[in-house]
Amino acid sequence: MFEEPYRWMEAVSTRHNYVQEKLKMGQPVMAVPYNEGLLIFGFAPQPGKIFEVYDRIALGGVGHPADVERLRMNLLDMAHLEGFNRSAQDVTSARLLQFGIAPALKQNFEEIQRAPYIIRMLLVELDNEGKPNFFRMNYDGHWETFKNGTAIAGEEKVMDWLQKEIQKQPFATYSLDQALQQACKLWDESRKLESDDEAKKDIPETLQEAFDQWYLEGAVLTEKSARKAIYRPLSKDEIERLKSSTV
Amino acid sequence: MKFQSEPNTSAGEFFELLENSGYRWHAKIEGAAKQNGFTVPQGTTVLAFHFKDGVLVAGDRRATAGNSIMYELCDKVIPIDSHTLMAIAGVPATAFEMARVLSHNFEYYRRSQLQSMSTEGKIRALSKLLKENVGMAVQGLGVVSPIFAIYDPAIKKSRIHFYDMLGADFQIRTHTATGSGSQIIRGILEHEDLWGEKPLAERTREQAMTLAIRLLQTAALFDSATGQARPEDDIFPTLATLTEEGYRFLGDDETAKIFKTSTERG
Repeated sequence: MFEEPYRWMEAVSTRHNYVQEKLKMGQPVMAVPYNEGLLIFGFAPQPGKIFEVYDRIALGGVGHPADVERLRMNLLDMAHLEGFNRSAQDVTSARLLQFGIAPALKQNFEEIQRAPYIIRMLLVELDNEGKPNFFRMNYDGHWETFKNGTAIAGEEKVMDWLQKEIQKQPFATYSLDQALQQACKLWDESRKLESDDEAKKDIPETLQEAFDQWYLEGAVLTEKSARKAIYRPLSKDEIERLKSSTV
Repeated sequence: MKFQSEPNTSAGEFFELLENSGYRWHAKIEGAAKQNGFTVPQGTTVLAFHFKDGVLVAGDRRATAGNSIMYELCDKVIPIDSHTLMAIAGVPATAFEMARVLSHNFEYYRRSQLQSMSTEGKIRALSKLLKENVGMAVQGLGVVSPIFAIYDPAIKKSRIHFYDMLGADFQIRTHTATGSGSQIIRGILEHEDLWGEKPLAERTREQAMTLAIRLLQTAALFDSATGQARPEDDIFPTLATLTEEGYRFLGDDETAKIFKTSTERG
């Protein structure tokens, strides 16, 4: 069936459509710098979008929970083995992506007999000099680097809009509370771009509903931490302050 | 760095992941002669005791090989995770390796299982490593005698455990010490606890630090393998506390200050 190049290309193209359709319901995850590190956050009907990967690395995922979990475990395995065999300083997002996840994802996607990963992923780190790095990876292994924050979402137009809007704001100068407020506003505005879909009728219409019905997941990587592992989930107080300032 | 099509599914067990990647803990060296009536080669003094706010863990800085002093800046109190400290006596190579395995084990478990390993699980993890190491210990090549201090969120209290070289663990309610200088100070610790100004568990952080410094200085007077502080070279004992907020190592400046007041004679 795939002996002709065209057939193979057609099959790959079909897979793109299939994965993009499956990803559509995915709610955005945003990552932005702030004056003491970086923030990663998102709303979701079920928890399981934001995770700690290693001492200075965090992950945000959109897509099928089982695929997010498989790639998360792979990242954890690679990071911890590398950290043990060499040093924590050798565990970087760029290496995890470039030499670990990305080639495997690309191969998996183009081997059309295998089920594709339904996932978009954010990998963020505060490097050893305290500089935030943002990486975004697509389900086909394509990845990009950003200096001033980035976002993933189920729909590409939402993702692209968020990406542009994030660049317009001086997030790196904001306090954590300010960065949270601005990111939350962007998240709220981005929902107006989402396509009308019968399956999306249960999505909260207001921020108040999002706070009440969904989970806000968020974490920071900050040099303010005295620990080796600098990942810290947002506290209840921080989330309450955000809620009272935005709703 | 290798992507596995099937990631590790062993419920957060880092040691298993290590073994699957080709790592082997050298249980013993085949063909090497077993030493008869070997003595435990420990050149160190580390101690831990409960004080008012939690647990204090302290250690000298000297590393020896036989009669030679090899190093005066050895860190024998090692953070394993945010609420766990390990103080080591014995063969540094093995002890540091154990600390690294444990540290990765606890963090890997926490990150993969999305919850911290239980206190009992952490205590058992060190037991397992010591058991794996029995072969090397019996050959006299890798004896490790650790003190394990951990904050237990279930009882909201720090705990101290010490282990024998076969991996049995013993919870300590007051104080413990290990290493070649430990016998010198164990009696003092007991005396201080029973008949001192107040029991160890009621002492303030500063009082606990003062006692730890004095104990290590005393051990160094009688045990050549325990290093004395050398303020002129900025070499001081390692002092760390473990409380609900996690571990905290005393910085050099603070240690120098407390050392000065602690060693003044009345």
